[in-house]
Amino acid sequence: MTNGYHPLVKSVLDGELPVEALPPELRAEGEEALRLLAALDRTPVTLSPALDERVMAAVRRHAASPARRAWRWLNTSRDLEVRLRVRRWTVWSGALAAAAAGIVVLLARGAAPVPNRAPTVTIRRGAPESVFVRFVLYAPSARQVAVAGTFNQWDRNAAPLVPAGASGVWTTTLALPVGQHQYAFVVDGATWVVDPTAPAIDDGFGHRNSLVAVTVRGARTL
Amino acid sequence: MTIRGLILVIVSALGASDLAAQDVAARLAGRVPVDVARAVEAIATDAAAQGLPVGPLIQKAIEGGAKGVPGDRVITAVRTLAGRLKQARDAVHGGGLTAASPDVVEAGADALNVGLLVRHVSDLTRVSRAPFDPAVTLRVAATLTALGIPPEQAARVVEDVIGSGGTPADVSGLPAEVQADLARGATPGQAVERLDRAGQGDGHRGGGAPPPPPPTGGRDKKPHDPTHKP
Repeated sequence: MTNGYHPLVKSVLDGELPVEALPPELRAEGEEALRLLAALDRTPVTLSPALDERVMAAVRRHAASPARRAWRWLNTSRDLEVRLRVRRWTVWSGALAAAAAGIVVLLARGAAPVPNRAPTVTIRRGAPESVFVRFVLYAPSARQVAVAGTFNQWDRNAAPLVPAGASGVWTTTLALPVGQHQYAFVVDGATWVVDPTAPAIDDGFGHRNSLVAVTVRGARTL
Repeated sequence: MTIRGLILVIVSALGASDLAAQDVAARLAGRVPVDVARAVEAIATDAAAQGLPVGPLIQKAIEGGAKGVPGDRVITAVRTLAGRLKQARDAVHGGGLTAASPDVVEAGADALNVGLLVRHVSDLTRVSRAPFDPAVTLRVAATLTALGIPPEQAARVVEDVIGSGGTPADVSGLPAEVQADLARGATPGQAVERLDRAGQGDGHRGGGAPPPPPPTGGRDKKPHDPTHKP
């Protein structure tokens, strides 16, 4: 079985060369290829004139089914107008109740410790926007990788990276609040590794932290 | 102010301080040993009394706990950071910003941490008049230094961009420009030279084609295997 035709024979098959233009040693191969090509059934396929009608009838049946109509009705957006009439004392009593609830919550927080897993990742005040940031680490010998930083209270388990196939590349994408964050990768749950492609600063413990700045326009080096 | 008003202010301040202390304790509970939490709480209370931001101190303690740093080193790091925040606040004041936000003070502390001097922080604050945000200006200078630019040059480059009529976007784009140069094999010195040329109108800033984008904060590039203890 041949692994492929000579490029010149291919040119003949493509109609770019006449078979006579082939050198003598390729002439037989070219003629054989043309013979095989000629044996192919090239009869044009004629579609039935009724095919269009049958397809459209099936579409109409599908569209007219009660289930489809109900689904469309449920999915159609509509404008709703809601009018609320309240008395002033209702608003004031609601505000007082909310304030009282807030005080109770604050006092309760002071009395009982907050669980460690509380995902309080608000780093920058007044920065409600979040931006997706992709973290990548090449660590072919790692069994597990996570990213920990100021955005997740340095929790080693909060943001695991997943391996991208068997390439040794680990990756994850996180929604980070706008602001500057410090972070590091945690390899195999114990080894803290700086991002080798990001600027890094002294962490105060003899190691380094990587820096990422999240702006409303995306993550960048700042 | 009436006596009643004065009492109200004092009670409010005491209440706020108490709530802040409770907040520190609650945020550190289970993350650091109890004695470390107590020491950090004392440092934070003292810092709050001086009008310094407390959040970075709590973050540093949490970071130390997560990294398994011995308690005494965590306390030392938090105390050092508190001192640096105070230094930064004074430097920012020296730059004419008497009512600095916690973000500006923290940015100043970060700048001092990477090697910028107090006078750099003051000077950068001084030139960061609206529309420039001093917190961003300080962070840019700090990031340039973290990328290998000597502090003196980092501060000068930022000041030059502001002084030569650059925009806030020009300032915040400086680290990405430097990182792109470094990714192409330039040294930090060469990157600064290019920024200087750009500042004189020969480069990209303020017109012309933008420089090639950096490797998205470095996180999309496949680098060498850095799996080692830092």
